[in-house]
Amino acid sequence: MRPLGFLNLRGISGQIAALVVASIVALHVIITVTFLIHRPDRMEPSIDRRHSQLAAAVQLLGATPTAERPRLLDDIKQAFPQLNVENLASDPAPAAEGPTAPELRSLHRRLGPSYQVFSLASDDNPHRVGVALPDGAMLSANLLQDQRQRPFWSGPWMTTLLFAVISVSLLSLWAARALTAPLSSFAKAAEEFSLDGAAAPLPERGPAEIRSVAKALNRMRQRITGLIDDRTKMLAAISHDLRTPITRMRLRSEFIEDDGHRGRMLHDLDQMRSMLESVLSFLRNDRKLESMTLVDIASTLQLITDQFNDMGHKVVYEGPQHAMATVRPDDLHRSVTNLVENAAKFGAETTVRLIAALDVITIEVEDDGPGISDARKDIMLEPFVRGDDARNMDEASGFGLGLSIARSIVLAHGGELSLNDRAPHGLIVRIRLPVRQQSRLSAA
Amino acid sequence: MATASPNILVVEDDRETRSLIAKYLRGNGCNVAAATDGREMARAMADHRVDLLILDVMLPGEDGLSLCRKVRAESQVPIIMLTARGEDVDRILGLEMGADDYLAKPFNPRELLARINAVLRRQAAAQTVSATNGATALAFLGWRIDFRLRELRNPAGARVAMTSAEFDLLRTFCERPGRVLSRESLLDLTQGRNSGSFERSIDVLVSRIRRKIETDPQEATMIKTVRSGGYMFTPTVETLAASGPS
Repeated sequence: MRPLGFLNLRGISGQIAALVVASIVALHVIITVTFLIHRPDRMEPSIDRRHSQLAAAVQLLGATPTAERPRLLDDIKQAFPQLNVENLASDPAPAAEGPTAPELRSLHRRLGPSYQVFSLASDDNPHRVGVALPDGAMLSANLLQDQRQRPFWSGPWMTTLLFAVISVSLLSLWAARALTAPLSSFAKAAEEFSLDGAAAPLPERGPAEIRSVAKALNRMRQRITGLIDDRTKMLAAISHDLRTPITRMRLRSEFIEDDGHRGRMLHDLDQMRSMLESVLSFLRNDRKLESMTLVDIASTLQLITDQFNDMGHKVVYEGPQHAMATVRPDDLHRSVTNLVENAAKFGAETTVRLIAALDVITIEVEDDGPGISDARKDIMLEPFVRGDDARNMDEASGFGLGLSIARSIVLAHGGELSLNDRAPHGLIVRIRLPVRQQSRLSAA
Repeated sequence: MATASPNILVVEDDRETRSLIAKYLRGNGCNVAAATDGREMARAMADHRVDLLILDVMLPGEDGLSLCRKVRAESQVPIIMLTARGEDVDRILGLEMGADDYLAKPFNPRELLARINAVLRRQAAAQTVSATNGATALAFLGWRIDFRLRELRNPAGARVAMTSAEFDLLRTFCERPGRVLSRESLLDLTQGRNSGSFERSIDVLVSRIRRKIETDPQEATMIKTVRSGGYMFTPTVETLAASGPS
């Protein structure tokens, strides 16, 4: 970083510096305004700060020759009417209560040892005090409230401290939030990053450092998406290209004389073809979506049942003759076909069940095979996970994509797919699809 | 025409696949010519009479879809499209471009042969059925069968799933309403005699169609069983001039 990099206002350090400077300036402005409003240097007339007025007046009188006193007393009365200084003729009776001892002591300290101070408090004036001048003359006066008694927390320096604490904590809270909010959004974006690239790029806002991090993250995401896209394209291209040799082999197998060989070859080719198809449809899944149309789902399920029966599996359809819903017909066909394929592989008899309610259509594919343990149910929905690895080694029946393709098709319909146990053994794969258009159960 | 050796032109860029298809079809009684691209195809079609065209979608130069549209603009020669992409978009595009049928690679050669026979029989039969000749969609009792998209929609407008064989059979019925059709002639019109055991029997197909379109499949009213051994399609069929997905 440059030596004066912190002066760059777009960086974090610059912003923190600006924040501190701005808060100090704000602090000073507010203190000055408070000072100008209160003006502690300007005395209010009714306030006798530290009894200085009274002390000065008394000392003036004490230092004046007796003959001059009445005139001076008049002048003092005019100048400080609130003190109400008067001659005290007779010896007063000492009052029980009145100005507190510390106040009298502080006045006495100001006047000096040659003066005497005593209380003259009465019911109509509790602040009256008497003063004996050094020559014995007596005066009475009002001892006004001393300003020293103001509460501690209202002192200007305390106000300043409080204001500083409050404003600094508020500002630092705000600064911390402003600085960390993008960081937590980065964390969220990284967590949510998925391979379909649907998430929006990070906003490139805030201080320069945060912006550059956001930019770098966005670029990294683009690169990752690009890499995955390339891999996907390559996998798709390989799968496409493999169709040509498989087509040739399929044709060539028709010229094999030996029926046994030919049958086995056809079986292998069928397996290769279905593996390729599952890869292609898995790759295609989150990209191209078939358009939705109103479909008689019952006819789709019956068709799948018929197709599996023709291949020699025992598959039964249970449900209404007709049930209509708006779906992606070929996708749904593939989804249920995958499920029936699995069911037929693991069980002896498969039931395809359709339950059409008003707002939801439930499709169940039930087999009487060994089922899936609870611990493995979640894993089974992931791509490239096969049912029972040990058992399927020689039968190498696929890539383990069938179930995850089925599920992503159902999810794309806004539905859900769940794996459930069947009693006494077996698996029920349940698809629940929300019905977009009102489902009509009718005999057409 | 269809029963004699049909002249089939295979347009496919992969040499091996091309010669294997040709060899297989020749072995099954067809006269086969081959072409690698659009130009060779045009030359071959100018030289010989072609009864049916097998067209690969992925071709060097002009692709199969646009060749299909060009051919369809000039003649009614039946076209079966082959593609390496089993995608819905291609299927619909191919059928909209005027292809009569569609097979995704890798395909079963026997199925190709069955489709060839079905298309040729349909072509031959269509010349005798004047009422529906040239129509791309028909309607009966609110149902709608679209030959171009090869889809059936019920009176509510919902698509009804059918296999290719079921569709061809229903199409045959719709094109010949009110006529008694024997199992033999239905087999002839849809699959051809030499397709072997590849397709389901007519009875199974009829029961599956009934389940999909009849109100009560046990008491069929649309596809009636005739005692002498055959079926009759009873509803009145109308021709829909302009078709397309509704």
